[in-house]
Order: sequence, then C-alpha cells, then structure tokens
Amino acid sequence: MSQRVFITGVGIITSIGKNTAENLDSLLNRHHGFGTLELLDTVHKASFPCCEIKLDDAQLKIMAGAEGPGFTRTTLLGLIALKEAVRSAGLSETELKTCGLISATTTGGIREFEKNFYDILNPDQHGVFEQFVDTANPGEHCERMADTLGIRRYVSTVSTACSSSANALMQGAALIKSGKMARVICGGTEALSRFTINGFNALMILDSEHCRPFDQTRKGLNLGEGAAYLVLESESSMVSRAKHPLAILSGYGNANDAFHQTSSSPEGTGAFKAMTAALNSAGISAEAVQYINAHGTATENNDLSEGTGLKRVFGENIPPFSSTKPFTGHTLAAAGSIEAVYSLMAIQKSIVWPSLNFHHTIPELNIVPQTELQTVSEIKNVLSNSFGFGGNTSSLLMTAV
Amino acid sequence: MASHFINGIGIISPQKTYEPERFLEEVISYDENILNCLTPDFKTFINPIQLRRLSRMLRIGLTASILCQRDAGLSLSDGIITSTGYGFLEETEKFLREIIDRKEQQVSPTFFMQGTYNALSGLVALSLKCTGYNNTYVSKGFAFEHALNDALMQIDDDPGMNFLVGGYDEAAKVQHTTGLREGHYKSKPISSLSLFDSIETGTIQGEGAAFFALSGTASENTWCELIDSQTVYRPDELDLLLAVEKFLQMNNTTVGKVDAVINGMAGDPIRDKVIGSLGNGILGEVPQLRFKHLSGEYCTAICFGLWLGAKIIKTQNIPDAVKVQDSTYPKGISTILIVNQYLGRNYSLILLKNCPARGGS
Repeated sequence: MSQRVFITGVGIITSIGKNTAENLDSLLNRHHGFGTLELLDTVHKASFPCCEIKLDDAQLKIMAGAEGPGFTRTTLLGLIALKEAVRSAGLSETELKTCGLISATTTGGIREFEKNFYDILNPDQHGVFEQFVDTANPGEHCERMADTLGIRRYVSTVSTACSSSANALMQGAALIKSGKMARVICGGTEALSRFTINGFNALMILDSEHCRPFDQTRKGLNLGEGAAYLVLESESSMVSRAKHPLAILSGYGNANDAFHQTSSSPEGTGAFKAMTAALNSAGISAEAVQYINAHGTATENNDLSEGTGLKRVFGENIPPFSSTKPFTGHTLAAAGSIEAVYSLMAIQKSIVWPSLNFHHTIPELNIVPQTELQTVSEIKNVLSNSFGFGGNTSSLLMTAV
Repeated sequence: MASHFINGIGIISPQKTYEPERFLEEVISYDENILNCLTPDFKTFINPIQLRRLSRMLRIGLTASILCQRDAGLSLSDGIITSTGYGFLEETEKFLREIIDRKEQQVSPTFFMQGTYNALSGLVALSLKCTGYNNTYVSKGFAFEHALNDALMQIDDDPGMNFLVGGYDEAAKVQHTTGLREGHYKSKPISSLSLFDSIETGTIQGEGAAFFALSGTASENTWCELIDSQTVYRPDELDLLLAVEKFLQMNNTTVGKVDAVINGMAGDPIRDKVIGSLGNGILGEVPQLRFKHLSGEYCTAICFGLWLGAKIIKTQNIPDAVKVQDSTYPKGISTILIVNQYLGRNYSLILLKNCPARGGS
C-alpha cells in the first residue's frame, strides 16, 4: 500500500514577510509587497513594479546564519525559509542527515553571475567576485544549502520554469510514497535578477502596473522574489517523532500542455490534465474542493487557459478561487511552494485569500475570483496550480488532517 | 518493485554513437581538452523550418530523442523526463551578453526562451504531442540519476508505463573558463585518449545528449534490464564502500556476480581518489571499463556509461577502447555495475542485467 504524505513543517520568506507569521499577517490585512526596486540594479527600475524583499544580502546572510563566501541571494533566501521549515518540523541535526532536500530554481545564482560576468570570463581578473564563478549552475544553491544544514541522503534540484517547486514537492511525495525516503524537505527559491526581468520584458508579458489576475484589463505579470520549503514526512516517521501534521499532501498531477514553448493552449489542456490527475490521485471528486489557489499570473494567455481548464474540471460550480500573485508578484520557481504554504494557511484558518486588483470579468470566461477575504466554515481540500514555460503544468492537492 | 527495461536508446556524443550499427570500433581523439559531439545530418530528423529555429544543443537533444523512439519502435510515450547539469549555457551566455552590451534595451527573447533548462523536455513533448508527465532535473552530477529514479518509481507503480528519460550537457565555453578557474579542467592540453595517463589535477570537458526508453514491460527491442539506481552524496572511501555493498545486497546480488564495472573516473588524480579506492578494494577482482576518455566529463556523462553498459550486454561484446590494460574479461556479460563520480562530490550506482526475455549468456 502506498503511504500517505504528511506536511509537518513550513518556512517562507517573501516581500510580504520574512517568516510564516508575517506572511499570514500580510495576507489577512491585504498588505502587498510591491514597491520600486531598490536592491537590484536595472534600467527597468522605474518601468516595472516588483515585489522585492527589502533586505540586502548582508542582512540576509545574518538572518540565514550563513558563514563564509559563495552564498548567492537565491541561496540565502532559500536557507532562511529552509531553516524555518526545519525548526517548524522540529527536526534534529541527526534527523536532518537522513532527510532529503529537493529544491527548485529557474536560474540558480544568475543574479551574482550576471553582475560579475565579464570579470568571471577574464582569466586574468581576480577578486571577491571569484566566490560566484559557478553560480550560473542551477544545482549549486541546493548543494550549498544541503552542506550548510548537513543534509546528505538525497540532494536534488528541479527546474521546470514557473512550475518548478510544485514538481519538487511532487517528487518528494513520490519518494515517501515509494518508501524510499521517510522525510524530504521540498520547495523552491528565487531572487530577482536582470536576467529574468529582461527575459520577461523581451517576451512583453510584464505589466507596468500591479498585476490583475483573471481581469479583462490584465496586461501581464510582475516579478517577485522569495522562497518556501515544506517538510514532507511518512506516517511512521511522524509517529516515531510524536509530531502532529499540519496537513496532508493528498494528491498531485503533472502534465504537459504540448502546445507552444512559451504559451498555453486555449483549451487549457495541460491545466485540465494536471488538476484532474491531482483529484484522481487523492481519490476525491471536484465537489470536495473548497478553495483553489490559482496560478493566475495575469498574463493574457495564462489566465484564459487556466480559466478554461478550471471550467472543464469544475463546470459551472467552480469553488472560490484566487491568485495570491498580487501580494507577492510572480516568484517563478518558488511560486509553487510559496502558494502551497498559503494554501496550507487557508486550511488552518478556514479562510479564502482574496485576489487583489480584480474589477472586470473576462467575457470569454465569465468567472469571478474571490476578491474579499472570506472566512468559511471549513476548508478540507485546497487545489494549488503552478504552470510554466515548456508546457509544464502541475497541480497539488492539500487536505486538512 | 517492478522490473525496468531499457527498450531503446538514442545517443549523440563525441564518438560516432548516433549510428546504431557501430560500437566504438574506431574512436576519435581530441587534443584541446574539449570534446564536442559528432552529429548526424539533422535534416533527416527535423524539418527545415523547425531546424532553423533551434540552437545546436536543442537539435542534438531532439535528434537523440528521435533516435531513441525509432530504436524502441515507440511512437507514444507516457512521460518525458530530462536532466542536465548546466543546461543551455551557450544560450544563457548570449542572453547575458545582450543584456549587458545593449544596456538592457532591445533584447530579443529567443536566447532567454532557449536557455531554460526544461526547453528540451518541452520541445520533445511538443514534437510528440505528449501531454503526459514532464519534468526536468538539474542537480549537477545527480541530474540524470534523479530523472531515472523518477521514472523507475512511476514504473514500479504502473509497469505498463513508458518513459523517455534523457540527459544533456554542452561543452560551453563559459563553463570551461569557470571550470579552469576552479581547477575542474586540466590547464595543459592532453590527448583525450590518454586521459588516464595524465597526472595533472582536473579533467577534460565533454558533452552529449542521450535518451533512454524505459518501461516495466520488455519488448523485442529490449537492450537490458535496469535493476536499480542510487546516488551517494559526498562519501568518503568507507561511505562509498558501504553504499556499494548495501546496494548490491538490496538488489539480491554480490560482487562475485558482477561481470564488469563501468568506472566513471575522470582522469583527475585528486577527484578520482575515492572511486579509485573501490578498484583497489571491494571491486578489485572485477574487470573494469572506462569511458570518460571517449565522452569527456560533464554532469550527465553517466548517460554515456549507461549506453555503454546496455550495449555491451546487448551485443555481448566489449570494445577494446573501453578496456583497462591489465584486466581480463569474461566471455559472457550478464551483470554490469556502473559506478560514477562527478567532481568528487556526486557518486552514483546503476545495476544492469541481461534481460531473461532476450536469452543470452
């Protein structure tokens, strides 16, 4: 029999809070993380609002308790969230050794690499930048985090663009279900970089105003940064540690839209398949879902495709749904795990998070996201979507204990 | 646990591996410490319009996937899982140069799009119209092993499933420059075929793309059975020894039953030390084979080793180019252990067996 997968700890840092409590407080009070870029040096500073964490690398390094050279902003954000997750799950140093770590990234430490690019490429140049010569590698941040915490058993990195950390969580769950691992910490980390801002700008999908998911006037996404990790654990491991679960990762689905390199199909093929697979693997019907944390990037293409997918799965009775990206921006590789934490909070507090900035219904879809914070009698099941370039679509289902 | 079979392989490497009828009868030597892929005529695999739009590595990767599907006789797959250490670093470099040199103005999205790590898994899905499972692992010297493990676990759940599992890495100039800074590559040029005679620290840079068709069901095209795979992170000599013993034991076999070991040592006297200790110890009696003088070193180089092992089992022939001088080799090869290392940090084990359905020795 395949095992159930429990969530026993979480950690998070975003532009709306540097830990779980602060993120919850911001969600409850509609505090978004937008502002003008202060720490990232780019010519697009004034053009595009971003959700930047207003702590410089030196401050992050102290918070992360990191020592020595070589820690990129991606790694530092990751470490802060990872350490909170470890504390939250009450894992000892000995227990950490036999844990797995699966981290997700889109571009690793490209922020530091791009800053020192020509120095790095000139073999005659030497200096402090040399600590970052290998940070264009996507797996570098994960090994460094594992080394810092003494995690040895399974050290893995996933990169499927904006669905990366949802896939990291799925792989962790699969390892536990198969009995190969008892505990795996999964999530993702993402720092703002000129690389991603210019990439999305070149694709013309950045909005110069605050993003408006599922709104007819939506013009694109805003970028954000952050990290979140969840401790996944088998039942026997949890019982042996006398630990209470926060929720169950009860289902997941991964599919590919197979439509276009950077855009989603008008039929929402991948979205439909991922959500359906998540429901099926949990063995529940669509009616049993009380809240959907949508991918909802506010690009013209995503919201139409995802909305169509939602209608195909849920028909005319789509449960309350929202996108929390107007709070945090699109945190790319970290979005799946950050939103998994928000979904978990929705279960714990019986609250549906609002979709900010929504005013006009998309006529082709005629669906309206939840716009106000709403307390409900019970949230038993939450579906959380993460889609990305390359056609990758993933959906996670979290269930109350 | 279900059985897992390799039912097809497509591989493009610095040797002429894209021609299925060949098996390293002739090997090519490289003199600049960088080994680049020998490629087939892409036009016979990819239509001209699409071909123009693809970067060199996407062409190589897509072609390797097509070679694999043809070999397996598969037109459909339930999922595509790829892996890479550094991804499309040449495209990333081009994009970075555009951003910096043009001061972030008039930047084209092409290199950004083609530089994402999952660009190949997306492309293969698109060309196969495969809406099934899709994932990409980028964990340095473990990337391919994690992709493989993902497929193996799903096959254990449902033996009827078919997966295309791939690994790719390119010998990017940027990586060579940064690798030299960190002592990953040798600074003095050597002849690649004499890699294992070199006493300088570091290795030589290689590249390649390979796809493996994996299923829980054997077919008439089956190469061999892939029993199990495991990663070992930063072991010392004792850790690795214990890991090998436990791995063999868990898979109901012993050192005595292993006919040959494919050793992923990289010709780097420092970083080969731990993996080399196996040859002097527990695996001392088992004939050794090496391959990184033919493929060069890269994060997913184990793909070359896996192809080599599967091909030896399938053909019951060991090419001279991979033999180690003082080893003697058995006539029949039914069990092969692959032991790989990357930068002395990422170690992995794969166990292959002759497929009973195929008969053989």
